[in-house]
Amino acid sequence: MMRRLIIILTFLSFLFAKVKIVTSTTDLADIVKSIGGDLVTVNSIAKGNQDPHYVEILPSYMIKVRKADIYFMVGMELDLWAQQIIDGSRNHKVLIVDCSAQINRMEVPTELVDASMGDIHRFGNPHYWLDPENGKLIARNIAEKLVLIDPKNSTIYNSNLSTFEESINSSMKIWSKKFEKLKGKQLIFYHNSWPYFSKRFGLITVDFLEPKPGITPSPAKLKEVIDMIKSQKINVIASESYFSDRAPNFLNSKTGIKTIKLAQSVDAIEGTNNYIQLFETNLSILAKAFNINYD
Amino acid sequence: MLQKLMYWLFFITISFSQTTSNPQFSVVGDLVFDHYSNNSTLASSGIEIAVQGYVNPFARADVYLHKHNDDSPIELEEAVMTIERGLPIGLGLRVGKFRPDLGKINQSHAHLFPFIEAPSSMTKILGEEFWAATGAEINILLPLPWYSNFSFGYFDADIGSHDHEGHMEKKEYDKEDYDKEDHDDHKHDLEEKQENSISLRWSQFFELNDINHLEFGISGYSEHNDQIMGVDLKYKWRPSQYRSLTFQAEVLQQSLAKKEITNFKTEHKLTVGYAMANYQFNKSYNLGIIADYSLTDHEGKKLNPSIFFGFSPVEESTVFRIKVGQVENHETHKKQLKTIVQIIWSLGPHKPHRY
Repeated sequence: MMRRLIIILTFLSFLFAKVKIVTSTTDLADIVKSIGGDLVTVNSIAKGNQDPHYVEILPSYMIKVRKADIYFMVGMELDLWAQQIIDGSRNHKVLIVDCSAQINRMEVPTELVDASMGDIHRFGNPHYWLDPENGKLIARNIAEKLVLIDPKNSTIYNSNLSTFEESINSSMKIWSKKFEKLKGKQLIFYHNSWPYFSKRFGLITVDFLEPKPGITPSPAKLKEVIDMIKSQKINVIASESYFSDRAPNFLNSKTGIKTIKLAQSVDAIEGTNNYIQLFETNLSILAKAFNINYD
Repeated sequence: MLQKLMYWLFFITISFSQTTSNPQFSVVGDLVFDHYSNNSTLASSGIEIAVQGYVNPFARADVYLHKHNDDSPIELEEAVMTIERGLPIGLGLRVGKFRPDLGKINQSHAHLFPFIEAPSSMTKILGEEFWAATGAEINILLPLPWYSNFSFGYFDADIGSHDHEGHMEKKEYDKEDYDKEDHDDHKHDLEEKQENSISLRWSQFFELNDINHLEFGISGYSEHNDQIMGVDLKYKWRPSQYRSLTFQAEVLQQSLAKKEITNFKTEHKLTVGYAMANYQFNKSYNLGIIADYSLTDHEGKKLNPSIFFGFSPVEESTVFRIKVGQVENHETHKKQLKTIVQIIWSLGPHKPHRY
């Protein structure tokens, strides 16, 4: 009797076992939640307000990956740290998925890349999730892999994928009307995280505070930016949530330029609890900074 | 025999590995200004060359070569194959020449220390460049809700048998002890073949919450005449990505049995340790303090504090470090201040990184 009960319980636990997923970033984790729903458990290694280029590898991350079925990584050499976590987890069954596989990559270097150029990524700019259209490609990739691991629930995953794509499509329609006046607005970014976002929403990047990607703003660079702000009448500097306010505040004190923080990832700042909110909040912050009435 | 077996395994694995991808090459170099006892020197401690990459889907290989800035030949610091994926029940395996999992600091390369030099007390047991030996080490990630790793290693060389030229030799302080007593007849004891040794370590890591992490470990080492026990602790408070406070402490106790003239064995005890606190202000700056402690039978208790400062202007590929500390002059036995300024740079992915 006892043996039968154990067999039945074991069978049921396999039948209702959730697919265990770990992602490099909160954006991927949120898209996984949208597609997997209650059928998956998901953990993100990097937190939303963390610089995804540099993540300190904690042994506890390896425990998160130890029993994972799938690891979704950003790829394009953004989350190089992920491989060390996966190796340390001793999980040789985990399916490693590079979510950048289907992305139409921007800023792929055409010349030999070296450290004199700063932190240039050899395979192009890796901040591709900041375009909602790329969010759909990521979601398709995620759904495909969930079906592969858990085929019996393929209908649910595909249905959730359609719902996710539909919510992106309908949000894009709303955003393109609501924030239409953002098109053509010029601004300075701290780091080059925003080419996909800017292209999608028509923003024009005039310059970056970092003299080269990953290099802290130097006094010479700040002077150059001050001259540019004055001559080109630039009104807004936007930085990622994890950067120090020191350089933007210095520029604000010298030129009166508005400084804003944008969310580079889900959960980076208040009001960015999911992938759709990430764009809604960023666009609202930008509209407010440019004095655009968007209601 | 064990050494031959390890090199053979290493050769076989590499022979059957992929040959279409190049491994990653890195070079780490430095320039050190040292002011001590009214003498100033400007020198480089040489370069470290790292060659790293995957051998196959289950194993990676790491080779570290060190060329000192003198006439000594290039030294093989480590040549190790690590298998972390593919083995059952969470097992991992390292084979080759490498730094065994003994204590917290032994596995760290010097350019990773925020305090520039290895604590001098620790070098009394681990050697000037720490203990690297040829052998095999198996480790297991225990099936617990937190990170708990147990490792066991078997090596062909004991802990005192490594100097910077890679020769097998007993440690200097052992020699001095014997020379002082002038027991020439027994000097051959020091030149006896190196002993095989074993090492053990059990380490735990707890993510207390998003910003507080605690890590501790216990270690053991044994060979014929030499036993070592150690404990280590690390606590890190990290309220934001580039701001953190790290407290790290480690103690090793060595019991070394020596043959005296009467043919009786006597036990010599040596206790060494350090405690370090390091505060990182932002992406570029850190400031810390380290206390270096040792207790030996013939020298008694020694405690030498130092403060250190680091500045990393361009990510982690260039670091400036300064250390001002108290050291004991070996000739006069007086305490003096020693100042070290170091510029360290790196090419490639193996970096003096701090994040």
